[in-house]
Amino acid sequence: MPAEIKEIIFSIMRNETELDAIIEDYLQGKLTPAEADAFELLRANDPVIDHKVVAHKVFMDAIKQYGKVLSLKEQMDKVHAGIDVASLTEELRPHPAFIVNLWRKNKSAMAIAASFILLTVFSIYSIQHNTLQNGTYEVMRREITNIKNNQNKLVRTLNSSPKTEKKPGGSAKFGGTGFALTANGYLCTNYHVVRDADSVYVQNNKGDAYKAKIVYRDPQYDIAILKIVDEEFTTLPSLPYKLKKNGIGMGENVYTLGYPKDDAVLGEGYISSKTGHVGDTTQYQVSIPINPGNSGGPLLDNYGNIIGVITAKENQVDGATFAVKSKYILEALNAIPSDSLGKKPVFTKKNPLQGLNRTKQIDKIENYVYMIKVYN
Amino acid sequence: MVSKKLSDSVPTDREVVLGILNNSEDALNRLYIGYFPMILQFILNNNGDEDDAKDVYQEAIIILYNKIKSGDFELSSKLKTYIYSVCRRIWLKKLAQSSKKTNNVSDFEDVIAVEVDVEYHEEKDIQFDKMGAALDNLGEPCKTIIQDFYINNLSMQEICEKFGYTNTDNAKTQKYKCLQRLKKLFFQS
Repeated sequence: MPAEIKEIIFSIMRNETELDAIIEDYLQGKLTPAEADAFELLRANDPVIDHKVVAHKVFMDAIKQYGKVLSLKEQMDKVHAGIDVASLTEELRPHPAFIVNLWRKNKSAMAIAASFILLTVFSIYSIQHNTLQNGTYEVMRREITNIKNNQNKLVRTLNSSPKTEKKPGGSAKFGGTGFALTANGYLCTNYHVVRDADSVYVQNNKGDAYKAKIVYRDPQYDIAILKIVDEEFTTLPSLPYKLKKNGIGMGENVYTLGYPKDDAVLGEGYISSKTGHVGDTTQYQVSIPINPGNSGGPLLDNYGNIIGVITAKENQVDGATFAVKSKYILEALNAIPSDSLGKKPVFTKKNPLQGLNRTKQIDKIENYVYMIKVYN
Repeated sequence: MVSKKLSDSVPTDREVVLGILNNSEDALNRLYIGYFPMILQFILNNNGDEDDAKDVYQEAIIILYNKIKSGDFELSSKLKTYIYSVCRRIWLKKLAQSSKKTNNVSDFEDVIAVEVDVEYHEEKDIQFDKMGAALDNLGEPCKTIIQDFYINNLSMQEICEKFGYTNTDNAKTQKYKCLQRLKKLFFQS
């Protein structure tokens, strides 16, 4: 038998048509078991025939699928013809009042979404206003009003008439505070106090005003260094205070001298946080009453060490004042050529003010704290 | 509301699956009528017209049909969601091909991932087009003989009588000659 089959197959190998017939019968399982075995043997030994079998199978699947899809489409077209597409289209097309449609379709979902949004807004609002100290940052330079200026001028004409002609004719726009860093007239204040300055005058507690120029600006830490360039200026006695290099602990009592008005004002408080506005590590948060004009004032501890520069306070939060830490003053000083500084303020533990009571301390340092007047 | 009236006649998902597995025309027809408005609404609201809706919807039904027939269909989601997702996918592709705007799609239903099914269908669709083209190029009487035998499942005897061949062997020989030409056309295209 097998020999006979082989012969048949051998003959049909030259006859493509009959090979197709055999392959088709083979795929449909129409061959007898003996014929199938013989064909499988042939297929295993001949890659060309094997390929033909595979190709035929792919083709058969494709044509079956083609037929199926064709009849499906025919059936669906028939059903489709029964649907009133025109009126459906009219109903479902984008309505002019699309929002209205959307609302009708998703009423409940939208209601839930809306209440959720409301809830979220309320929670965020309450979190922001109840639990977080999150006010806006308000720098404390003083905008000098016309009325105050009028008073200023009166005071000056009475007290220091010989110098009035030297002062600029216009009125000071902004005021702040500054303090001496060296005996030869270097002062420290806030960058924002002198930011827009055309000219800067500083005035001490006796009412003497001197012209100063800005020698260093550091917007990042909000520090500026001024130099008094007035001929009238005489070198100061050596500085009574020291700069404290190290940080200071929470709860430490501190005070500041500043010029929120035309005379020096003392403010007293304590360090309430080692970080400043929204966690700024370059600043302290101080619980101390300050007002516009206090910006740039020195912040001193009980022993008369300067530990920072009053910079700003926070809106909407009671008693949150910020002060730049004193080590950034040192960084600013390092930016100035040391030979022009004269005697540099040193960071020592020994402090002339140490041991003196508050009144005596203030008595000594008030000559070194200046009102900064900015003209532009 | 038309859509409400139609939705009453929508067969359950189980009815559809069993109906398709058992070659029930009625199940497919009711399925077709049931979800067409949903797709029509989606296409109309996303830069298409009713003819686009028909094409996309029929493709989706074919995909669903093949998936159910192949046996690996599990009712993991609603048929409605499945059909909507497939249509959405196909339509977004078509929009992208004609480089129309595809952002801000207005959706009306939930969407599930059907990328694999759609891509598989695209391959099949290419084969479908190839087969159609090959048959058209084949010419008569070959085209009808092949269709009658392989698609309409007529016997050789019936074909023999229909085309007036003297005996079935002649008809068979003719059929295989036609088949060889068709295979050539199909595989070469």
